[in-house]
Amino acid sequence: MAKKSVTFKVNGKEVSVDVAPGEMLVDVLREKLGLTGTKVGCREGECGVCSIILNGKLIASCLVPVMKADHSTILTIEGLEQNGEMHLIQKKFIEDGAIQCGFCTPAMVLAGKALLDENPHPTREEIQLAISGILCRCTGYQKIIKAIDSASQAGEMR
Amino acid sequence: MADQGKETARNDKEFAVVGKSRPRLDAKDKVTGALKYIADMECREALHGKVLRSPYPHALIKKIDTSKAEALPGVAAVVTAKDIPGRNGWGAIIPDQPVVCGDKVRFVGDAVALVAAVDEKTAIKALGLIKVDYEQLPAVFSPVDALKSDAPRIHESGNLITTSRVEKGDTEQGFRDADVVLERTFVVPFLEHAYLEPDVALAIPGSDGTMTVMAPMQAPFTTRRNVAPVLGLPINRVRCVVTPVGGGFGGKEDSPIDTCVRAAVLAWKTGKPVRIEYTREEIMLSTCKRHPMIIRCKFGAKKDGTFTAMEGTIYNEQGAYASLGPVLPPAGGVHAHAVVMLAGPYEIPNVKVEGYLVYTNHPYGGAMRGFGAPQSNFAHESLVDELADLLKMDPYELRLKNAFKLGSKTATGQVIDQSIGLRETIEETKRLFDWAGKRKPTPDPTQAQSADKRTGYGMAVGWYRTSIGASGDGCGVNLHLLEDGSVIIYQGCVEMGQGMHTGIAQIAAEALGTALEDVRVLAPDTDSAPESGPTVGSRSLTLMGNAILLAVQPIKESLMLSASELLDTSVERLVARERFIFDPDNPGDRLALKEAARRCMVMGRRMIGQGWYTPPKATLDPKTGQGNPYFVYTYATQMAEVEVDMRTGEVTMNRIAAAFDIGKAINPMLLEGQIDGGIGMGLGYALLEKVILDQGVIQNLDFKDYLIPTSMDVPKIDAKLLEMHNIHGPYGAKGIGEMPNIPTPAAVNNAIANAIGARLYELPIDSESVWRAIQGLARK
Repeated sequence: MAKKSVTFKVNGKEVSVDVAPGEMLVDVLREKLGLTGTKVGCREGECGVCSIILNGKLIASCLVPVMKADHSTILTIEGLEQNGEMHLIQKKFIEDGAIQCGFCTPAMVLAGKALLDENPHPTREEIQLAISGILCRCTGYQKIIKAIDSASQAGEMR
Repeated sequence: MADQGKETARNDKEFAVVGKSRPRLDAKDKVTGALKYIADMECREALHGKVLRSPYPHALIKKIDTSKAEALPGVAAVVTAKDIPGRNGWGAIIPDQPVVCGDKVRFVGDAVALVAAVDEKTAIKALGLIKVDYEQLPAVFSPVDALKSDAPRIHESGNLITTSRVEKGDTEQGFRDADVVLERTFVVPFLEHAYLEPDVALAIPGSDGTMTVMAPMQAPFTTRRNVAPVLGLPINRVRCVVTPVGGGFGGKEDSPIDTCVRAAVLAWKTGKPVRIEYTREEIMLSTCKRHPMIIRCKFGAKKDGTFTAMEGTIYNEQGAYASLGPVLPPAGGVHAHAVVMLAGPYEIPNVKVEGYLVYTNHPYGGAMRGFGAPQSNFAHESLVDELADLLKMDPYELRLKNAFKLGSKTATGQVIDQSIGLRETIEETKRLFDWAGKRKPTPDPTQAQSADKRTGYGMAVGWYRTSIGASGDGCGVNLHLLEDGSVIIYQGCVEMGQGMHTGIAQIAAEALGTALEDVRVLAPDTDSAPESGPTVGSRSLTLMGNAILLAVQPIKESLMLSASELLDTSVERLVARERFIFDPDNPGDRLALKEAARRCMVMGRRMIGQGWYTPPKATLDPKTGQGNPYFVYTYATQMAEVEVDMRTGEVTMNRIAAAFDIGKAINPMLLEGQIDGGIGMGLGYALLEKVILDQGVIQNLDFKDYLIPTSMDVPKIDAKLLEMHNIHGPYGAKGIGEMPNIPTPAAVNNAIANAIGARLYELPIDSESVWRAIQGLARK
């Protein structure tokens, strides 16, 4: 199959990569760009641990053919730290004990960011809904919801 | 007991690190995505391993032709049974599972050939080129059928693996003494662990005849003692490296043995590194599950609620291979534990429980959070609740009347002589939940049907062991103090999300008098870690914590001697706390711990410590089931509020309240995480989860058909920690990992009964079964 090139902005940087048709965005991020903070749990969009922010929206990157991401803007977990400082949501995940095995953590943090970017002061139900596409088997979701709420309370989102 | 609670409270002020809600040590690595799980690690030269699996539940392998697969360009090796260099069998307790099946297959998913190829595509293509001729055999899919004399024989040793029993007093007399006797049969299904990180293993052959295997393992030492004989190697030539574990829940005690022995055989044959990765569907198909059981349970009580007798029979379905089911003497193994736990945390003078562990042609049962206790708990707690209705008693009163207290004798005759806070958890949860103000007596069904929606309130209590109950449950550690005062811990217990490494670092920091940040806990590598046992049985923080306290002693002596010289104060007057050593009567004149450490180095004093902790001996007579199977127990009460749609049977969880007697919370925030997650998992068992099997074939292999709780399914959880000091635990701690998910299904079941006025006896409790119960169709 003919190789093609796609260009997108990943974590603030313009990137061009050669891809094969049919390749999924998650594999390009992980294998070609080394962004392994995006995890793979099921490859069919059910578990959500591969979630990233594509053009401002949270999406399961295992369902996105990489061609569809041409000229898009992508944020992965690696793009959240600024000048070595963690994002407020990341800090709250640590302080509130929202992390256990860590496998869903990058996706959950990005889900929190996507939510707070759109809705800086969500209700508990809105937070529950915003993370409902990502499975977590460790936390019962309680402290993840709390951490996103804490970040909302602390305000000054970047 | 109240006095022991006070003791802990007083000590708390003296602790600098223990008892504090500190963020986990790996938090930053995880929240930034920097942590490399094995799937994130690069090994460019690795071959890709794949497993060809049986499509039949029971069949003879008549012939395998691998020639076309071997001829495919890019294929490095095809392995069948004849190629296994050593023992063709693995298993956590009995090595009855072939690495590659030779003569026959015993479940859909059994391995019949392995392939290693340059890339995944080629490996998959090669699988399709292997031709296997099978002769199908009659298969058996229920433990009851498998015990019949004409049942197909799955293993040569017979279908009955083991029988366990507990017998105390005279149950016939006990039931004669009862005013009310209630007997029910409960059915629970296979459950999937659904850890989110898929199983991956990397095997790397060494030029010196060694084999290194890397995987997210819960039990590296168990894996090591399986890989070595499969390759025909002494154990010291196999190295197991534990990579970060993305959830385990008991499943990764077993599955990494599976992936590691297979990757190791391929690496041995090719002389190259081999990586095996299972897809989500392959994990569902072929790795261990929670045991399904059919449990008959019978309780007798006096009019005032006093229990007089209890009997039970457990048909425990092992599936195709033994895994962690069988009894590991005296009381290890899922099966023995389920039998021991079935009488519940109640004083009952007369008890008789028998359990049969039976092979079938289904996938196999292994360890899953609770190790037989969730099944038994669902039975006894649902039954006790129905008994309360019959006695016209509040279920809270009935439980409190019979619950263990100090000096109680268990079904195995064990005297509970310390760290017993069950009644306190009942009282505390009652307050937290406002049980007295909320719960109404269970209505009769016709009365219940008149409403569109009904709210119900239910409760359950539970108990869970710390440690595994097998005779060899020792735990070792090597702890090194370095010349700058920092500490490194070589140990073999696994961080899989539960927070155990942070907990043991807190214990080490407290004991040495240093800061948490100065302690580094290494992930297990069997080439450097001493044997520490598996990370299971809610044992690791308690056992490893004790081992660390032992390891610290000689180092602390060196430190204090060095400090006494530098401070010119006698050793007896000195304490170490948060990086400083000082005389509490003269705290201004203090010495940095690192200065004392440097002097230890200069003076050639001992700076390494080894700890080996063996818990109090487990005893259980196999004939009578009498003895002390486990040395301490954690206790819990949970109360649930549900809303049931009476027209559809749909259940909505409104709230859960719970209290736990956990001995001592080393890190309360991380401990709460175990409670939240455990209750979440318990809700999945209660309402959603079941591996659906049809003629041995799993019908729900992925997360779109096998549903685990999402953020929309778990209600608000209020939990309270009670600390009944455990004299055998570090700073009084005991286990917590498994306890929280155990009483949840029964609490939910009892809340549903309280709403609809009818009882259910099978998990999961889906809308249809609730609707049928409302319609009176439940018992045909």
